[in-house]
Amino acid sequence: MKKRLLGIFLATTMMATLFAGCGSAAAETPAATTESTATETTEPAAEEVAEAEDTAQADAAEPVTLKWAIWDKDITPYWEALKEAYEAANPNVTVEMTDLGSTDYMTVLATELSGSGSDFDVVTIKDVPGYATLVSKNTLEPLDSYISSAGIDLSQYGGVDKQVTVNGSLYELPFRNDFWVVFYNKDIFDAAGVDYPTNDMTFDEYDALARQVADPTFGAQVYGTHYHTWRSAVQLFGVLDGKHTILDGNYDFFKPYYEMVLKQEDDQICRNYADLSAEGLHYSAAFSGGDVAMMNMGSWFISTLMANIASGEYDASLCGNWGMVKYPHADGVEAGSTLGTITGLAVTSVSEQKQAAFDFVNWVSSAEGAKVMAETGNFPALMNAEVAGIISGLDGFPQDDTSKEALNVSNLYLEVPYAENVSAINDILDTYHKSIMNREMTVDEGIAAMNDEVGKVLGQ
Amino acid sequence: MDAKKAARMEKLEVESADLMKQIRIEMDMKKKQKLIAKRESVQRKATAIRNNRRISREAKRDLVAYSFIAPNFIGFAVFTLVPIVFAFLLAFMKWDGNNTMEFVALNNFKRLIGDTFFVAALKNTIIYVIGTVPLTMIASLALAIVLNQKIRARGFFRTVAFFPYVASLVAITAVWSMIFHPSKGPINYLLLNVFGVPQANLPKWFGGGLVLFTLILFSVWKYMGYYMVIYLAGLQGISAELYEAGSLDGASTWQKFKFITWPQLRATTFFVVVMLTINCFKVYDIAIMLAGGGDGKLSISSTVLVYYIYQNAFNYWDLGYSSAIAMVLFVLVLIVTLIQFRYEKKLGE
Amino acid sequence: MGNNVSTKKFKSKERNKIAGKVGVYLILLIITAIMIVPFLWMLSASIKSNREVFLMDPFVWIPEVPKWDNYIKIWTKIPLLQFVQNTVFLTIVVTFLQLLTSSFAAYSFAKLEFKHKNILFLAYISTIAMPWQVYMVPQFIMMRGMGLNDKLLAMICLQAFSAFGVFLMKQFYEGIPNDLCEAARIDGMSEYRIYLKIMLPLSKPALSTLTIFTFVNTWNDYLGPLIYLKTETKKTIQLGLKMFIGQYSAEYGLIMAGSVVSLVPVILVFLCLQKYFVEGVASTGLKG
Repeated sequence: MKKRLLGIFLATTMMATLFAGCGSAAAETPAATTESTATETTEPAAEEVAEAEDTAQADAAEPVTLKWAIWDKDITPYWEALKEAYEAANPNVTVEMTDLGSTDYMTVLATELSGSGSDFDVVTIKDVPGYATLVSKNTLEPLDSYISSAGIDLSQYGGVDKQVTVNGSLYELPFRNDFWVVFYNKDIFDAAGVDYPTNDMTFDEYDALARQVADPTFGAQVYGTHYHTWRSAVQLFGVLDGKHTILDGNYDFFKPYYEMVLKQEDDQICRNYADLSAEGLHYSAAFSGGDVAMMNMGSWFISTLMANIASGEYDASLCGNWGMVKYPHADGVEAGSTLGTITGLAVTSVSEQKQAAFDFVNWVSSAEGAKVMAETGNFPALMNAEVAGIISGLDGFPQDDTSKEALNVSNLYLEVPYAENVSAINDILDTYHKSIMNREMTVDEGIAAMNDEVGKVLGQ
Repeated sequence: MDAKKAARMEKLEVESADLMKQIRIEMDMKKKQKLIAKRESVQRKATAIRNNRRISREAKRDLVAYSFIAPNFIGFAVFTLVPIVFAFLLAFMKWDGNNTMEFVALNNFKRLIGDTFFVAALKNTIIYVIGTVPLTMIASLALAIVLNQKIRARGFFRTVAFFPYVASLVAITAVWSMIFHPSKGPINYLLLNVFGVPQANLPKWFGGGLVLFTLILFSVWKYMGYYMVIYLAGLQGISAELYEAGSLDGASTWQKFKFITWPQLRATTFFVVVMLTINCFKVYDIAIMLAGGGDGKLSISSTVLVYYIYQNAFNYWDLGYSSAIAMVLFVLVLIVTLIQFRYEKKLGE
Repeated sequence: MGNNVSTKKFKSKERNKIAGKVGVYLILLIITAIMIVPFLWMLSASIKSNREVFLMDPFVWIPEVPKWDNYIKIWTKIPLLQFVQNTVFLTIVVTFLQLLTSSFAAYSFAKLEFKHKNILFLAYISTIAMPWQVYMVPQFIMMRGMGLNDKLLAMICLQAFSAFGVFLMKQFYEGIPNDLCEAARIDGMSEYRIYLKIMLPLSKPALSTLTIFTFVNTWNDYLGPLIYLKTETKKTIQLGLKMFIGQYSAEYGLIMAGSVVSLVPVILVFLCLQKYFVEGVASTGLKG
């Protein structure tokens, strides 16, 4: 009797949990079923409302709360600014932010959105590999019908949208678009009596400049350059000629850049990778320490620098006098080509108020959102002269013309464009980047391994 | 007592007869069956009383025993046993955690063979286990023997030896990365200035070929105190008379160790080695924190099985494949444990 | 020992003994240094400025101007108080549940006879050899299905019912003579009262041992909270510390101050319970 009871108990718990685990997509629970029917019923209604011109009035009657997934609320100024501006423009909408932290943001988000139980309406998409994962898991809503009914002209994003289109559908709208520049510390150049870098440098000129300004004296070391431990900081010099991308499967074009950086390490022109890795040194700490002359980094660092110098978090006597220039370029390639990273907003497929969520996404990525972004010192996806003017006019932005000019990008290549297995490719490149930089493999061995492993992924 | 028993018997018999009557009258088959069951239970009770309540007391005893176990067992069954069964099933599935599951038979296991990262993770894990287990065992045994003698401040030394085990990994690995910092750390400073190692040859403790060695070194340091305590307990179980007899026979210290301590500690050593092996195969956080750099990613020279399980599950959402790797981990642990069991049994005979 | 020769022998033996003792102390001092230097370094670095941390020539343990404000700053740079609260809550609840349910179940396994005892115990034992990492993913999916993702409750469910605790307590109870229980049973005591009045008071060493293990494991767990706890307000001190190290990688003094803070509670618990500890391990059969 008891044996049977125990058996039944075990069997039921097992069944229950298996169901809870695997059936989630099929919406097996009553809660999920009601959720999906609710969506069906509210959707057309919301669309009707959107079609009618007096949206604001109709919405005013019905309070809406949108749940929005973000990261690092305390140190990123624009989340709060966007929320407040949107709520001011749409009094019936309350935007609730949930901070998932930046370290494993996309992992955490993917977990949140798997199966039932998530209540996010809008999620921020931090990188393309994570985006690819979310799309393949069917957790994001295709935005095409919303985009066409809202009459959005996608050409305003300068073609970036095409690099994240999946089988003809778009699942996110970019609202932020960062590009890589070279930051430099004017005080160091002044002290060394070396001319500042310019907006038109070849890699040879850049390398020579780094060597000129560096000072390897022990105890008073000054580094000519600094490369953060990300692979983007070294490898992706190679994609600036527009002929290669990281989805190629053949990475021989990385070689000259690895050789340049490793040689700089050997000559103590830059900190070596093993040290950086052991410390987990953050790039902001490296630059604000006042012993790095030049550092290639994304434009997101501009607002961080300005804010932290203003607040006294960074010692202004060490890094307060900074400037920036365009990325160096290979011989025969136009200056101003650089790497870009977009940040987008997406609507979840479980959201019960997709139209309201899309309205918010649309607003943030539109000209109005762009202005808010620019005022906090960040680069919106909708970049134009006015926006550039707002940013370069901000308190703390370097006032020389070179730095202002550095904001004009001629060609933008995404660090990681969309591909179905981009997540795996990304990790392979990361792994062998580590091996090469840690000197576990020679440059040739590392690149050969990248070619092999990515070849396997692409062959699948 | 007997009168009471007789009264209760009588009552039960009446009840039984009453039920029999009802069964005869009842037409509905379902109800009839229920009544039959009820009568059977009444008769069982009667038999129980007749046989001096043996069965019923046993049932009661079982019930009490189960009530003791239940709070823990229910939690254990739901949160440990069920996931284990699930893990076995998942290894034969393809699933991304959101779309529908798909049965793929042995595909996940076939994929393992050609997977460079899996092979590297497997190799690194095995090297780590082979390096850590004997070193920790020897170090903890030696320490336990020293600390089992009558010496001053024994309590203090024991406490200190146990400190690293208690200390949080995040905090203590932060210290280690400073002390072993390739260019600024005191260890390399000593190597450079005291031992005259040329700057170019200073070891990069967390990169390349050395990283596994550093991991092993760290593990021995962190866990030897724990296993020392276990050995200490084992040593205290050895009767002093054995040593006295040894002394009378003029045995040297080494002989005493060889012929008394070591054989007497066999069970303890077995336990220590099994626990060590299991724990070493699980290595993950040590690797992440010492070799992961700023982004917590492991390169091909430091990747370990659990890291690859985690990556496949939470980065690629290839849950079936991740479970297949987990199965490999399980089988490895199982094999090693079984071998040790066998060996221990053989020694015992 | 009456004759001359044996006295001489005795003396040389004595000398050997003293030499041995000196040797033992020497070894002990070296080992102690290896064990404790990282902790002293941590304490020392926690009151230094960034430049002083790696200053080797001259190296000082206590800087001329100790930066005590590192210990104040860390509370404001990250929500450390929140992390500490979460961790304390988790650790206390888990340890309490673990002690209660394990000792309860262990009593049954050790002192009572019942059907399927061996099968049930085998279920426990066989999972001890099963690394948690093997089933962490399915477990997570299951918990998420139960709506426990990003809840402290998930961590409690995860850690409160370990096979290890039952095993440890059972081994200990088996060392307590059965006569004690039998006598109580003859006196008409119920099993619950025997557990409460006789076994529990006797199991101080085992309970202390289990407390140390559970407390240390829960307090220091990293992978579990990493998988389950996502919102910042729910994170534990280990995650918080790791996050802090990621963000302020070059603030060595602050990192070390944070580390010291994270160590204090476990060290305190250990020091309070350690006098029972070796005895506890010895009597719980953990020695094998």
